[in-house]
Amino acid sequence: MKKKHIFLAVLAVSLIMTVSVGSAWAYFTTYVEAQGGYTLSLGDETTIEENFSSWMKSLVITSEADSKPVYVRARAFSGDLYPVTYSDGEVFNQENPAVEDDQERGVWTPKADGYYYYSKILYGGGKTNELQVKIENVPQDVTEKEFNVVVVYETTPVQYKEDGTPYGVDEINWNAAELEVDRVEGGGR
Amino acid sequence: MKRLKEFMKSPKTTMIAFGLAIALLLFSSIGGTRAALTYFSETYASRVQMSNIGVTLLEKSDKDEKAREVSKRDYSDSSNGTWSENTGKLLEGMLGDGEELKPGKKYNEELSVQNTGDIDQYVRVSIYKYWVEGNKEDGEEAEKIRNLDPGLIELNLVNTSDQGGEWLVDGDASTKERTVLYYSRLLPAGSTTTPFTDTLKINNIIASKVTQEVTEKDGYKTIKTTYDYDGVQFCIEANVDAVQDHNAEDAIWSAWGRRVTVNDGILSLN
Repeated sequence: MKKKHIFLAVLAVSLIMTVSVGSAWAYFTTYVEAQGGYTLSLGDETTIEENFSSWMKSLVITSEADSKPVYVRARAFSGDLYPVTYSDGEVFNQENPAVEDDQERGVWTPKADGYYYYSKILYGGGKTNELQVKIENVPQDVTEKEFNVVVVYETTPVQYKEDGTPYGVDEINWNAAELEVDRVEGGGR
Repeated sequence: MKRLKEFMKSPKTTMIAFGLAIALLLFSSIGGTRAALTYFSETYASRVQMSNIGVTLLEKSDKDEKAREVSKRDYSDSSNGTWSENTGKLLEGMLGDGEELKPGKKYNEELSVQNTGDIDQYVRVSIYKYWVEGNKEDGEEAEKIRNLDPGLIELNLVNTSDQGGEWLVDGDASTKERTVLYYSRLLPAGSTTTPFTDTLKINNIIASKVTQEVTEKDGYKTIKTTYDYDGVQFCIEANVDAVQDHNAEDAIWSAWGRRVTVNDGILSLN
């Protein structure tokens, strides 16, 4: 009984002392917070239109409306016996639907790797000017139906500099490991 | 009974009763005096200056000519001791109307802190960077995506101590997702810190993080590429804490759980 009284007395004293602890730990503090962000939109979808007649293949690459801007390059394979020559074909100047009248004409330019590089950026909803691929040295006894020219074209998303301007087509290293390249093969005849 | 009558009749008793009467009379006047003092002391109490702490996060983007207030939280004794607060959104001025985000571009994103209270203070900032599900409606909660790299959200720190500046990076508390900064100087009332960030860039590498699916049809081989970061939202979050300058070391330990040393107003991490 006596112990119980002592315990209650100690407890009462402790409770009275802890009343002051709250005020001893109180400091002036405040805080604020804020957040924000944006949703990224990536991805592109392109298709190639090919027409083959008179031993010449005409290529036009089209980008779907909601695609992001891409660079384009293409080349054709026809075997060593039948070399191909390239030339610019019909001019559409419709790489960027947002620009009504493109100031300069997009052209296909060769590089040492055998690819022809389109000189302008292809935006969503746009299409390249025509690339003509002419097959040379075709023997008289070979018909167009027997012949096969394979076209490969590649696209890669446009890269931006820190000031927001896009890298030029010539500034892109297509072989860089960090560059994502979409490759499409095909083109019978 | 006889003794009581004798006691009451004695001169001593009369003197004692008289003395008591005078004493009671004097004490009664003291009460009146105290009441008068209490009345005047209330007038004096209204003149006591209270300590109000307050802090504001400032942002300057490409659109802003000068830093603008994003979020603030000030204690106000003039409005019955309530908090005057406002929580805004970051990055609202980052893109123009109809402008799309360009990976690789550096956008101006200057963040700083202002002391909007009337006592000096020490300041800490915690920055969080992460990816969440995109295209959510307002009020709809977007889940955090943990397998995408927060390191590709490049919020450039400036004025850090290793650049000769005032902001200390707490390496022990920082990760790829979180950066904790302490302003090493005492921030006087009304003053603004130097900026702790200057630009924001989403790394170009996001365009190379893809999953590919190859299909063949009619002699054509088509590769469909799905971008891992397509349709996701990057998120920047800044939390600012402020604490009184008085007894700062104990206050910071108590409020933020971090041991620091303060010498001549300069804060260093232990």
